[in-house]
Amino acid sequence: MWRYLIGRALQMVLSMLVVISIVFVLTRLSGNPVHLLLDVNATERDQAILTHHLGLDKPLPVQYGIYVRNIFMGDFGNSVLTRRPVTEHIWERLPATVELGFVAMFLSVLIGVPLGMYSAVHRGSVLDSAARVFAVLGQSMPAFWLGLMLILIFAVILGLFPAGGRGGVESIILPAFTLGYFTSAAILRLTRSAMLEVLGSDYVKFARLKGLHEQVVLWKHGLKNALLPVVTFAVMLFVQFLGGAVVTETVFAWPGLGRLILESITTRDYPIVQAGVLVLSALYLVGNLFVDVLYSYLNPRIRHARA
Amino acid sequence: MRRSLETIVLIATVFLCVAAPAPALAAPEGTLTVAVATFGNERWLPHLYVGAEDVVLKPLWENLLSRDGKGNPIPLLAERWQVLDGGRTWRFHLRKAVRFHNGAELTAEDVKFTFTAIAKEGSANSLAPEFRLVKSMEVEGPYAIAIRFEKPFVTLGNRVTQGLFGSVAYIQSKKYIETTGEDGAERHPVGTGPWKFVEHVRGDRIVYEAVEGHWRAVPHFKRLVFLKVPEPATRMAMLRAGSADVIESGGEYVDELKKVGMRTLTMPNTVAIWVILGGQWPTRPSYDPKVPWALPDAERARKVRLALNLAVDKKALFQQVLGGVGAPVGTVNYYPTDPWISDALLKPIPYDPVRAKTLLAEAGYPSGFEVTMNLTAWPGRGFLPDVGEAVATYWEKIGLKVKRRPVDRAVFAADFRARSYAGVALAYAGPIIGPEPWELFYRISYSKAAVHLLTEHPKLDAFIERLGAEPNPTERARILRDEMGPWLYDYMPAVAIGATHSIAGVGPKVGDWPLIPGHMGVHNWEYVMRAR
Repeated sequence: MWRYLIGRALQMVLSMLVVISIVFVLTRLSGNPVHLLLDVNATERDQAILTHHLGLDKPLPVQYGIYVRNIFMGDFGNSVLTRRPVTEHIWERLPATVELGFVAMFLSVLIGVPLGMYSAVHRGSVLDSAARVFAVLGQSMPAFWLGLMLILIFAVILGLFPAGGRGGVESIILPAFTLGYFTSAAILRLTRSAMLEVLGSDYVKFARLKGLHEQVVLWKHGLKNALLPVVTFAVMLFVQFLGGAVVTETVFAWPGLGRLILESITTRDYPIVQAGVLVLSALYLVGNLFVDVLYSYLNPRIRHARA
Repeated sequence: MRRSLETIVLIATVFLCVAAPAPALAAPEGTLTVAVATFGNERWLPHLYVGAEDVVLKPLWENLLSRDGKGNPIPLLAERWQVLDGGRTWRFHLRKAVRFHNGAELTAEDVKFTFTAIAKEGSANSLAPEFRLVKSMEVEGPYAIAIRFEKPFVTLGNRVTQGLFGSVAYIQSKKYIETTGEDGAERHPVGTGPWKFVEHVRGDRIVYEAVEGHWRAVPHFKRLVFLKVPEPATRMAMLRAGSADVIESGGEYVDELKKVGMRTLTMPNTVAIWVILGGQWPTRPSYDPKVPWALPDAERARKVRLALNLAVDKKALFQQVLGGVGAPVGTVNYYPTDPWISDALLKPIPYDPVRAKTLLAEAGYPSGFEVTMNLTAWPGRGFLPDVGEAVATYWEKIGLKVKRRPVDRAVFAADFRARSYAGVALAYAGPIIGPEPWELFYRISYSKAAVHLLTEHPKLDAFIERLGAEPNPTERARILRDEMGPWLYDYMPAVAIGATHSIAGVGPKVGDWPLIPGHMGVHNWEYVMRAR
């Protein structure tokens, strides 16, 4: 197991290096931040001074070398816009993103798992059909449209929730539902199909033949086994939420990491884009590793195969 | 001459006493929440912010002067001022007992420190090129400063005024910045304005609190919160849901605001729109003599430019693209309300595609020509790509082959400086940064300017230099009306679209709101009344 983990950790470092390199090149291709930091009528000299100050006058390979060296020393640099440490900006925004991701994930599981289970158990019923419609809608509605509709109905017409911004508990409900609806639909489908497979298996039939109570069959023998792929999926989705919530964060004016990266792209704030992508990639890779470990813990066959 | 200037100052002083909104009597109460599209660069020091952040910076700070309801300069931090030696020397006498939010008193040293910071090398401030014209600054006591220029600078008053967008020469505390350090001052800025800094979360919110007992105006609201909400539909929903009390808006939302019973706050004629025809820089190495509108044959080139103007139905464009907000004008950067506009300039160049085709044929392009239309958005002017798209469609109707090129401003900005976009057209909206049109031309259409956004022409250079040295406002108005306006109309350096307004949506919590005419962007936060 330890050998496996060390191997994965090395793979992660390599992956991060690839990510760093790609992001470094792409950000440099996207335009010069000096043009946005200065007024349009700034002189050549002003530009030269700022370019020098930001270290952008050095050859690209030199800039790359400095950048990688600094990262290994834990220095992500300063924002070109605010000149404050990038880590300060990331930490400022990360809580909002994690908060939104957790609540969205919680809502997804809360909606998706029971509905998927019910749908599988009562296959062909009206509620099963309704659940499938719910799932199709969830996976086909764009987040920006759903978000705006939710704002219109629940904030503007009913006045139940704020229309945007991050405030009290009530401010997270609409963005979390917008973010979580797509995944709740996916979890519903996944739970349903896994449950159908499990319920048709020999050990479930055997449990029923033993005369076990149906609830015990469903929850202990059915759901417990059906949840394995769902848990894996949910963890990966949570990691995706952290970086992929840009649309939801924009529609709801939610001050999260995704929006910070998007804004930094438009202002060519290279250090923030680079550090933000790096953090998200690291989270993704760690999430992947966590799922792998979790999987082998939950499924003895995998554990034994790796051993 | 000197007497007339002094008379203006005296009248202005009297006007301020009579016309300035009275301070609030009741204690500040409640929160005014404002949703804006952008916070700009989100910097707080005079050499680090550009000027486009005007809306969110203005509550905290004050300029030396302001403008009254008729656009005349009036005292603010300076209680009086003198323009001497034909505009080569400006002497400001500061108001006494004005205090920064940290308790320190404002002095002439602070003014000198601020203006020096704006002018220093590498400064991002949009006023830097103009403040670098300062020859010397002499502190003549704690409350007096003389600013001297090599050549006359007759409109310095418009650079140091609270009453115009982008006049960001806000006076900052020398002592505070020197003792706290730039980093400390960036994290917690102090000013003399009616609102003091509370919190800034980058990309999310800026929070101010009313300064009770402020020397000029105690705000009616206790807190002023700016939220950055880039999505216009969300801003609209926030206003309707009561999550925001004021929103930045565009013409396209005016009808919707009316339909849902929200008020609109209009700052009329604050943005001039035109389509830049790139390549009119004949003396530069990047000049391309094959660009149809910049041909060495001036007459043929003018016919092309006229044809491109005649091809566009400006009235329809205003209705369909700009929500009916504003009006077409016959030339570039002249507003319908300007005292120097003539009847001829008020009329837009007519929509006449048949004549446009004829002119193109006469200029040697019977089958049209190929042109690239850049679709580039600018901060706070998100409508520009739509204007470009509409103009491109009109041009196609007269036979031009238009290639649309969506391009980010960060990518295209280098071309403005390098004059390397010959043959490319793009819609542009010039903000009103000075009441007189040449003040903007000085920055963007002067052969000595860093960027090019209209044309380079010796005649226009001569107008700019002449107007910049003319201390008599009446004579400047005459030159603008009788000479520069007709020349621009005849030369037609761009496709003149017209002037549009700045719009804000206002919720039910907001009462009366006095505004300064000609000021683009929402302002005067301290005078916003609570609704009864």
